Amino acid sequence: MANSNLPRRIIKETQRLLSEPAPGISASPSEDNMRYFNVMILGPTQSPYEGGVFKLELFLPEEYPMAAPKVRFLTKIYHPNIDKLGRICLDILKDKWSPALQIRTVLLSIQALLSAPNPDDPLSENIAKHWKSNEAEAVETAKEWTRLYASGV
Amino acid sequence: MMPDMESNHHLNRFLREEDQKPLQHLPYTVLKEADISQRQLDDITQVCSTLSVSRSAAIILLRHCNWNVSKLFDNWFDEEDEVRITVGLFKNPPVDQFSTDGSLVKYFCFETFPGGDGFDDQRISSTFCDHFYCRACWVGYISKSIANDGLGCLSLKCPHPCCGAAVGEDMIFVLAAESADKDKYLRYLLRSYVEDSYRKRKIKWCPAPGCDHAVDFVDYVGGSGGACDVSCLCSYKFCWNCNEEAHSPVKCDTVAKWILKHKDESENTNWILVNTKPCPECRRPIEKNQGCSHMRCRAPCKFEFCWICLGPWGGSHSCNSYLQGVKNKSDKRKEVAKLNLDRYIHYYERWVANHESRQKALVDFQLVQDVHLKKLDRKYRQTNPILSFIREAWLKIIECRRVLKWSYAYGYYFPTHEHGKRQFFEYLQGEAESGLEKLHHCAEVELEEHINADKPIEDFIEFRTKLVQLTVLIGNYFKNLVRAMENDLPEISSYGDYWSCYICTYVNEGSATMCVMCSSQSPVHGEV
Repeated sequence: MANSNLPRRIIKETQRLLSEPAPGISASPSEDNMRYFNVMILGPTQSPYEGGVFKLELFLPEEYPMAAPKVRFLTKIYHPNIDKLGRICLDILKDKWSPALQIRTVLLSIQALLSAPNPDDPLSENIAKHWKSNEAEAVETAKEWTRLYASGV
Repeated sequence: MMPDMESNHHLNRFLREEDQKPLQHLPYTVLKEADISQRQLDDITQVCSTLSVSRSAAIILLRHCNWNVSKLFDNWFDEEDEVRITVGLFKNPPVDQFSTDGSLVKYFCFETFPGGDGFDDQRISSTFCDHFYCRACWVGYISKSIANDGLGCLSLKCPHPCCGAAVGEDMIFVLAAESADKDKYLRYLLRSYVEDSYRKRKIKWCPAPGCDHAVDFVDYVGGSGGACDVSCLCSYKFCWNCNEEAHSPVKCDTVAKWILKHKDESENTNWILVNTKPCPECRRPIEKNQGCSHMRCRAPCKFEFCWICLGPWGGSHSCNSYLQGVKNKSDKRKEVAKLNLDRYIHYYERWVANHESRQKALVDFQLVQDVHLKKLDRKYRQTNPILSFIREAWLKIIECRRVLKWSYAYGYYFPTHEHGKRQFFEYLQGEAESGLEKLHHCAEVELEEHINADKPIEDFIEFRTKLVQLTVLIGNYFKNLVRAMENDLPEISSYGDYWSCYICTYVNEGSATMCVMCSSQSPVHGEV
């Protein structure tokens, strides 16, 4: 089972996430697998995602912290850096990962990504195109999706 | 019994002529692993002594400049500080600052170390910064990078996200968990010298599986579409331009098209077109695997039809009446596909046959070298140099099989409208092929007879003369074929009603069966 011989680091990070949660973020480990976290992120204020509650899953691979956590949105979201499968285009989850970073840093970075979409480094081509050609309309679509998919969690 | 002196004289003269041919200047050098290591070490040593830096720093700097020593010196003496910052060789290391909100961790393992000497033993920072991590964390970090990052482990940085200080070879050697990691690191370092080199257009690894040699192409200019064959010390021959096996005189783009063609699914599609019929209802291809013509498509379609006329199957179906001129699109498409497939199969079968013959010849040649020549030596008391004509013949067979193999790829893509050229090419190809078959038979079957049967030495001398002459003759045939392929048969005019004589170049009328000037027969109208 994944819980046997859990590294001290994961235990400590989990304890800290539960005792001192970051504002607008909640992360709790699954009962049957301490490497799997159920995450909820509140849509940042003054962003198209405001008022939405977004579900994510986060998994710590065997090599963590030498390898980055695997994170994915479970709630549908209209964002140029998140695709329809919920995969996230974020440098610290890929080549810029460092073992000096931790779960808290990753979740804060994802929250920041919701506040500042980057259509120049897209994961979803269509959404990025929409964002660049007509930002106001794209923002409206994002708000609509937030209302449709992220309000009744 | 004394051997025939005249035959012996003829053979020895031939061998002397072969030996006296000047050694061809090769435009490339094959480098062994030790040669590459030595070159790399020379560059590192030069940088260390000139810039007064450590070996680790020299490696980091050289990799940054793609192992170009002169470029590194130019950059360093122009902008030393900028270069240092770019590669992470900081003069004044960034202070060990960790964020107060705890979003960065001081030790990846979350262990807490007590103060005092024991703690100092555990705290280690990169040579070029002051971010301390415990030994266990460093070991894990380095091992993970060597295992997963490929050549990227040579550009390892301090784990602090905002730091960028380089982690050098010295630190890796101190902290690498296992000796296997160190070996892997050194292997990547060696690979980097070839693969990251500023000269990478002129130096590359031999593509043969398991070969550790690199080829340094000194005189390579590049850009031409022609093949450029290189022979490695491991005896593998490859084309410098495209890294495929040697294929001269066929151009790289033809080879690429051919390889794609027979890897491609397009031939499967053609097979489906030729050997199946589409269900008239759902268009799914159906292969007839039983005798009766009553076909029933699979679920969910389940349409029943006649295999012959593709009409719906009735209670008493018959389609025996001939309806003149009725030919549907599907039939025409099928006919074209069948012709194309047949044409492709014609060339592909011959390409494969020559490929397999060459592979077999390579194995046989090894046997000849290791076993047969020794037997003949004992049997006829012929010294090895005298018997080298057998070796020459086998080498010629191996090389000619390769040329012949690729001549079929060349033939497949030959422009269909150039009939004169095509016929002349096929004539040359045919001559070369039938000659090669004779040579191969002689070197394979007749040689076997001399090894196993109890034949007098006169017969062996006769065989020797025959094999030598065939080797020379086939060499000439193939020279002609290669020249024709390299130059795209300029001897033959492409203009419909004329043909250019390949002997005297006189332009004859298309209807002429012999050259008006030299009476050579037209390759278009028959054997020369």
